Amino acid sequence: MEIRKILLLALSLTLCAVVAQAGFDASRVISVVSREEGSGTRGAFVELTGVLAKNSEGVEVDSTYAEAVIANGTNLVLTTVAGNDAAIGYASLSSVLHSDTVKALRVEGVEASTGNILNGTYKIARPFNVVTNGNLTDPLALDFMRFVMSREGQAIVSDDGLVSDANGQTPAYVAAGLAGSLTIGGSTSVAPVMELLGEAYMELNPDAVIEVQSTGSSAGVTGALDGTYDIGMASRALKDSEVEKGALGIVIGTDGIVLVVNLNNPLEDISVEQARQIFTGEITTWADLNK
Amino acid sequence: MAAACVCILAVGVICYFLFANGLPFFAQYAVSDFISGKEWAPLRGVFGILPMIVGSFVITLGALLLGAPAGVLTAIMMARFSSGKAVRLMKPAVALLAGIPSVVYGFFGLMLLVPFTRSILGGDGLSILVAAILLAIMILPTIIQTSRAAIEAVPNAYYEGSLALGASHESSVFRAILPAARSGIVSGIVLGIGRAIGETTAVLMVAGNQARLPTSLLKGVRALTVNVLLEMGYAADLHRASLIATGVILFVIVMAVNIIFSFYNRRRVLQ
Amino acid sequence: MSVRSGSGKSRITVDISLPTRKRTPWGPVLLKWLCWLAGVMTMGVLMLIVLYILVNGVPEFFFRDENGALQFKDQLFALKYNSKNLSMFPAIINTLLMTALSLLFSVPLGVGGGIYLAEYAKPGSKLVKVIRVTAETLTGIPSIIYALFGMLVFVVTLGIGISMLAGALTLGTMTLPLILRQTEESLLGVPMSYREGSYGLGAGKLRTTLRIVLPVAMPGILAAVLLSIGRISGETAALIFTSGTGTRIAGLYDSGRTLAVHLFKLQEEGRAVGASFAVAVVLLAVVVLMNALSVYIAGKLTTKG
Repeated sequence: MEIRKILLLALSLTLCAVVAQAGFDASRVISVVSREEGSGTRGAFVELTGVLAKNSEGVEVDSTYAEAVIANGTNLVLTTVAGNDAAIGYASLSSVLHSDTVKALRVEGVEASTGNILNGTYKIARPFNVVTNGNLTDPLALDFMRFVMSREGQAIVSDDGLVSDANGQTPAYVAAGLAGSLTIGGSTSVAPVMELLGEAYMELNPDAVIEVQSTGSSAGVTGALDGTYDIGMASRALKDSEVEKGALGIVIGTDGIVLVVNLNNPLEDISVEQARQIFTGEITTWADLNK
Repeated sequence: MAAACVCILAVGVICYFLFANGLPFFAQYAVSDFISGKEWAPLRGVFGILPMIVGSFVITLGALLLGAPAGVLTAIMMARFSSGKAVRLMKPAVALLAGIPSVVYGFFGLMLLVPFTRSILGGDGLSILVAAILLAIMILPTIIQTSRAAIEAVPNAYYEGSLALGASHESSVFRAILPAARSGIVSGIVLGIGRAIGETTAVLMVAGNQARLPTSLLKGVRALTVNVLLEMGYAADLHRASLIATGVILFVIVMAVNIIFSFYNRRRVLQ
Repeated sequence: MSVRSGSGKSRITVDISLPTRKRTPWGPVLLKWLCWLAGVMTMGVLMLIVLYILVNGVPEFFFRDENGALQFKDQLFALKYNSKNLSMFPAIINTLLMTALSLLFSVPLGVGGGIYLAEYAKPGSKLVKVIRVTAETLTGIPSIIYALFGMLVFVVTLGIGISMLAGALTLGTMTLPLILRQTEESLLGVPMSYREGSYGLGAGKLRTTLRIVLPVAMPGILAAVLLSIGRISGETAALIFTSGTGTRIAGLYDSGRTLAVHLFKLQEEGRAVGASFAVAVVLLAVVVLMNALSVYIAGKLTTKG
């Protein structure tokens, strides 16, 4: 029994070792990794790369490749790409900055960085919104919003890898010392930076409690409208249908979307058109891409 | 003491709310299109869940083909072919296997099984095959525990009678004890099916989740449960209703499995 | 392997009509070895998973200070969670709270219902049958459906909102059938002679049930409770939609995450995957502890009874 177990363990460890990689094989089929339908990141990505386009009848169609792996959440995208030589995916810049397991591609020769998003040369970027029902009256919520848009708040935003519009004119925040609690919910991409903002705010206003729920962009907008959340979060621009219902979005920062490939992949640069072709399945092998 | 009625109440309330929230969707979208539609594009208003039904079915079947024999055989070994020492070791081990949260299984699958199948068999690695293997592992403890209990519950007289007739130890186990424990073993397998169909988090992490009909075991697939969990956070209006309707279909499938099984059991009892 | 053993199994079912036929020495022996193989494989898989969690998780509890000495990362257990310390302490407390709240709902109802079914209801009556079938159905329902149910009923319709209470009610409903059925089965397993002896001594029905039958059935009931605790502490899908992902130690009407949800959320955005393994180690420890406890309690009760 004992010997058998040890043998088995040895066997399983060898199996793991076999998994270690060989060289990069360009003839391999590209493993496309996308996000779930409705995700703010996917919504912005397909729009900016042209994967979402009007068909002959004038209806907008998201023609993401049917064979694309659907990962829920940034981590699953990064983990999948990190473990697969032939994979390509996309994720929020602020998250990729915190990870060294994948390679970020340049788009049209421009590196994905906050500087390049600010000067407009890096094209694939979307706004991070906070959403209210357009009629924010709670003093705590108003004061928190004041903090988010202040010099201090925006410093946190840009430290986290987002692009902030703040400049010398942005007012400093003066703690009001309010008490009470605030529930903020929505986009899983916005949640990490919102958590940081909440923690900083609670340090300045010890009697206030800021609770951050991460559920998804659309849930954030719906929640802000029906009162589940005092403030909602969305990692995309608001839809017309949401604005009609009274949702009001305030941009707290701009986030880049980065195309990521495996560290073994020699590719460094990609064009928006190539990205579109890969994510619609028009190009299916790495060799075809380089033609 | 009629507290037991709360159970009925609970089923009633679950049914009522699921159906009340799910059925209005069918008023706007034909049931037949929903169940037999091959395309899922919720943002365009196309809701076909045939790929997910097939997906759930295929990975459950795969898990069953791998997990049921392994589980039942392990149970037989624990109950009849092993020393007390091995069983003392294995009992808590199986219980441990049952207690590991599915997120952890998912991670394990993603980090070990996925790269492993990719390097041996090619493809994405995120595939029906891996999902089936992972689910097989996850249903093992359910099947082992139920089967073992069933085998141990068979009166020893069966075994001794068989020995007395001249059969060997092995023959007695397989010919006399096993048939007597059959209904318990089957109920263990049915519980396993339930767990496999219902599993969400672990499948989500290793199955690739493509909402189209798969063409090979090395391709990914999306299960019904995954469809709900993936998109619920984002969905609004008709899309949200379609996800609840997906839950209704899943519910109906699970009920059907239960009913078929209880029919089978009743027939056995009658015989 | 599976195919061969599968066909082996179907052979058995054919052969049962002839139980007295001796010979075929090799078939069953081969099957016996397959059994051993399956057993060893099960153990191997388990060890692989546990090893995987420990190898990745245990180092997360330690860090090297500036002198290079190994230090315990006690910030993982700080009183309050923030995105820097990633403390799992609030999640641990929430898990305990969630477990206690859910059981507060499901244990009295489940045990009460089980006693009713086993001791009071007329065996074979319509009501008993209906309850048994519904309990069976409830056990088989996937947790994602409980998630939808909890969200629609407790969070939205009853207006409790995303809170510990809504989560506990959902999980209570989920574990109720488990406890109900196990209680009933354990009670039915108590020999009739115990009851008759008690009646013979002049005890009433209620007294007999509570003082004689229930204690004997206790190990079975406790096993069900421990199994429920396992399900509650490992549940993610049903809780994300009902008790949410709040990071503080939660009150009844606050949102709060349990350990399993904490694990899921930590890995989701990819910023704290390492810490999520540390949570997995703690969860594993909880499972081991729970199992040990159940063996201990069962042992104590059996020797007493």
